[in-house]
Amino acid sequence: MSSAKPPAPDPKRFEVSKRTLMLDRAMTQLIRIGGLAVIIAVFGIFFFIVREILPLFSGAQVEAEEVVSTPGGDVQILGVDEWGEHPFLYRGGDEVVFIDMVSGERSVLDVPSLKDVEVTASSFDPVHRRVAVGLADGRVGSFLVVYQTEFSEDGTRTIVPTIETEPWFTVSTGEGKVTALSYGDGGDKRLLMVARDQGLAALRLGKKRALIGKPKLTLQGTVDLTESMTSGVVSVTASQNGQAGLVSGADGQVRYFQESGGEVTLVQTFEPFHGAPPVRMDYLFGGVSVALTDAAGDQKVFSLFRPEGSNQRLFGETKEFPGIGTGAPVFAPSLRNKSFLTGAGGQLSVRHLTSGAVRWEGFAEFEPVAATIDGKTEHFFIVGHEGQVQRFSLKDPHPEAGWRAFFGKVWYEGGSEPVFQWQSTGGSDDFEPKLSLIPLIVGSLKGTFYALLFSLPIALLAAVFSAAFLPHDMKRVVKPAMEIMASLPSVVLGFLAGIWLAPIIEDKVPSILLVCLSLPLSAMLVGVIWSRQPIQVRGRFEGGREWMVMVPVVLLIGWLAWMAGPLLEKAVFIYKEPESGREIADFRLWWPQATGLSFDQRNSLVVGFMMGFAVIPVIFTIAEDALSNVPKTLTAASAALGASRWQVVRTVIIPVASPGIFSALMIGFGRAVGETMIVVMATGNTPVTEWNIFSGMRTLSANIAVELPEAAPGSTHYRTLFLGALVLFMLTFILNSVAEVMRQRLREKNKLV
Amino acid sequence: MPREDFIAVDHFSFFYGPKQALYGIDMRIPERQVTALIGPSGCGKSTLLRNMNRMNDLIDGVRHQGDIRLNGNSLYDPKVEVISLRKRVGMVFQKYNPFAKSIYENVVFSLRVAGRNRKKELDEVVERSLRSAALWDEVKDRLHDSAFGLSGGQQQRLCIARAIANQPEILLMDEPCAALDPTATLKIEALIRELKEQFTIVIVTHNMEQATRCSDRTAFLYMGRLIEYGPTLEVFENPKQEETEAYISGRFS
Repeated sequence: MSSAKPPAPDPKRFEVSKRTLMLDRAMTQLIRIGGLAVIIAVFGIFFFIVREILPLFSGAQVEAEEVVSTPGGDVQILGVDEWGEHPFLYRGGDEVVFIDMVSGERSVLDVPSLKDVEVTASSFDPVHRRVAVGLADGRVGSFLVVYQTEFSEDGTRTIVPTIETEPWFTVSTGEGKVTALSYGDGGDKRLLMVARDQGLAALRLGKKRALIGKPKLTLQGTVDLTESMTSGVVSVTASQNGQAGLVSGADGQVRYFQESGGEVTLVQTFEPFHGAPPVRMDYLFGGVSVALTDAAGDQKVFSLFRPEGSNQRLFGETKEFPGIGTGAPVFAPSLRNKSFLTGAGGQLSVRHLTSGAVRWEGFAEFEPVAATIDGKTEHFFIVGHEGQVQRFSLKDPHPEAGWRAFFGKVWYEGGSEPVFQWQSTGGSDDFEPKLSLIPLIVGSLKGTFYALLFSLPIALLAAVFSAAFLPHDMKRVVKPAMEIMASLPSVVLGFLAGIWLAPIIEDKVPSILLVCLSLPLSAMLVGVIWSRQPIQVRGRFEGGREWMVMVPVVLLIGWLAWMAGPLLEKAVFIYKEPESGREIADFRLWWPQATGLSFDQRNSLVVGFMMGFAVIPVIFTIAEDALSNVPKTLTAASAALGASRWQVVRTVIIPVASPGIFSALMIGFGRAVGETMIVVMATGNTPVTEWNIFSGMRTLSANIAVELPEAAPGSTHYRTLFLGALVLFMLTFILNSVAEVMRQRLREKNKLV
Repeated sequence: MPREDFIAVDHFSFFYGPKQALYGIDMRIPERQVTALIGPSGCGKSTLLRNMNRMNDLIDGVRHQGDIRLNGNSLYDPKVEVISLRKRVGMVFQKYNPFAKSIYENVVFSLRVAGRNRKKELDEVVERSLRSAALWDEVKDRLHDSAFGLSGGQQQRLCIARAIANQPEILLMDEPCAALDPTATLKIEALIRELKEQFTIVIVTHNMEQATRCSDRTAFLYMGRLIEYGPTLEVFENPKQEETEAYISGRFS
């Protein structure tokens, strides 16, 4: 021992250095900010999505403008230019009054051909802006209102209206004045439906190509339809393709006439309102549906479709709208979408055909006698008895949206029944977007279901095996291998599934069925036989090495099953050719014949395999961790009480690890629901609402990936895709919340100490 | 007539991978007596104990030389089914470890895994085992409550009841009082003295007084070797080996 005095203790030894404190504070703040930022980011995304979709659920916005008076007699027709700036009125004389809504000026144009005639009926076709008139002497004619738009150098627009007259035609059948008419302009084929005091006629007009100059419009034939009617005509309308017409009679019957090969024949008679005749029949945009309105204000839409078992397109009721009020009904179809303006006795409403929804409802200051919508569906006009014209601005960017459109069955034009359907874009302008999210939700759940069906048993059993049976040295290889499996990019898996796997397994379905059946069965069989062996035999492969015995046997049986597939196909899956009665052993043909469901090459089986492949490592890793983390004291206690390995697993390990296993399941579910690339590439992306394992699907996520690039920002389609994103978000959110609650319960039940 | 060599350890060596933990142990443990294994930490006493029901099999990379015989039969005979061995040799662990089940289900666990589910039998076993573990009066009114509601000492006695429910021949106790307070320890010790009427008990302990209080024989292990083994009084009052004396007089631990 040295005698030196120990050095005096450092007086600063109790102080905390400034650096330590600062770092401590800085890190505390940093972590706090990071945590908050994550929460804000999640909510930010949520709010962004909600902001994008909210407009989908708001109705139309309508604002009334000043009333402009144009004194004169009763207005029969109201029309407007594409911009909604120059409405015109026709009162049945030889004048057309134009109003400039910008300046408030009025101008009058004469229609030369209408001089000195007595107009007894008129009708308006807003598509061509054609006014058709019928005279007391039985002649019918028409004129067009043409707006010539000129842009000056500084970009200002001037609209110059002109009148284009068209030739007169004489109705050779019937007697008396013209009481109602409708001009259906299909370009080369046109049909004029004309009702007179006595008689009903269809005039077929056609364009004859002249050698020089414009083709000339000539009367090609007059068909007398009087015979078909049993009562007086109430209203007539001709279809926009010039090949069909509807006539409603006083007996409440609507008769549907069709032109073909020069003949106009009665195709169908139907009674929309139990005796009350429709007083207005108006074709809607697209020319497939007709809105029928009776004097009481009841409104129904009838559309052309092929009824079950028929090959002819006939009218059938597809929508019933609430009443429009009583009085003389007005009606104006949109020229851009399936919306229309209707109303009676001062009541006005904007409605939409596809969704069957009333988009807006309101009252006019006066009772309108006519209405019209401009070409962009941004304004509508009404006119009253005394010539009061009022413009309304109409803002309804998403008329086809709504709860019913997204989540309900909708009767689309041309369909024979209401369906869930997703078909967001089509080839023509008058295409009706079909925006039901149900097929996509079903698709997402279907893909997830088949993926989990394949991956859950494998992943969970593998996790149990690895955690409780496999010797440690092998586990050190197996676990990282599984984690490498998780790191495979899903685009590679999708590519493999679509290009490589799908064609391979397409014609091997019986083999796959047999393998799926025989693998677990043979494994169990091996287990039963093994457990009957004396301990000396079993002892040679102790401690989790029994698989060395099992795997070769199971592989052999699996291989035999695979080979037996074609035999099974020959024995069971025989397709009978309906015409020749020839029998072909092909599962792909047999399945549709036997079940009535389709068989696609890219089907749920392929997706189940590949997405299962992507999900297995996720579930495996988390479940394995949970199972491995069960305290050794518990497994030892259980083993010391004479429990077998499986009993230890069943009675102690699984209950204690159940919250973790449950998390694994939910994370696997979340992965499968949100998975995109594999389903995009391997499913065919057909939005079908069915659970058939041999058909494809379209999931919410794949739908967004496929369609977002072509959706115009701000359009209904675009916002609907965001709605799909929100549904996906809610799906996983709700599921995760429920899962978390259940997990907490499990944990509470099996908690340790 | 109780057997003197009920458990016979014959030149038994044990290895954890490359590390040797036991060096040629030879000892005979008599039937229906309490034998204490003492020694400093890491001396191999727990390893020896855990070999008596082959719990060490659960660890990877272990191997052994020599043999342990139970009532004349080798534990390592290839004909021996480990599961049935463990039914003969019950075990109580250092840290009480009841399952996340009711008190009742904890006690009958060994019967359940053996497929014995008759309610009448189970009820009898529960009462008998809990009485043997001196726990019956404390828990008889809440048999179906969670075992976690009991105090530490009660939980350990429950573990003892669980271990003796299937009436094993041998009861191994690996420092059963290490996690308990003195009162609970005294209760367990009293229990051990009672249980030896029925069972052959081998107990590992760090606590010299405990060894003197409740064991009939004591074995002192040091660095994997059996240094001294004999009647407890002899070992403690008149140790033959220097290391033993040094250890029991507290010169090293």
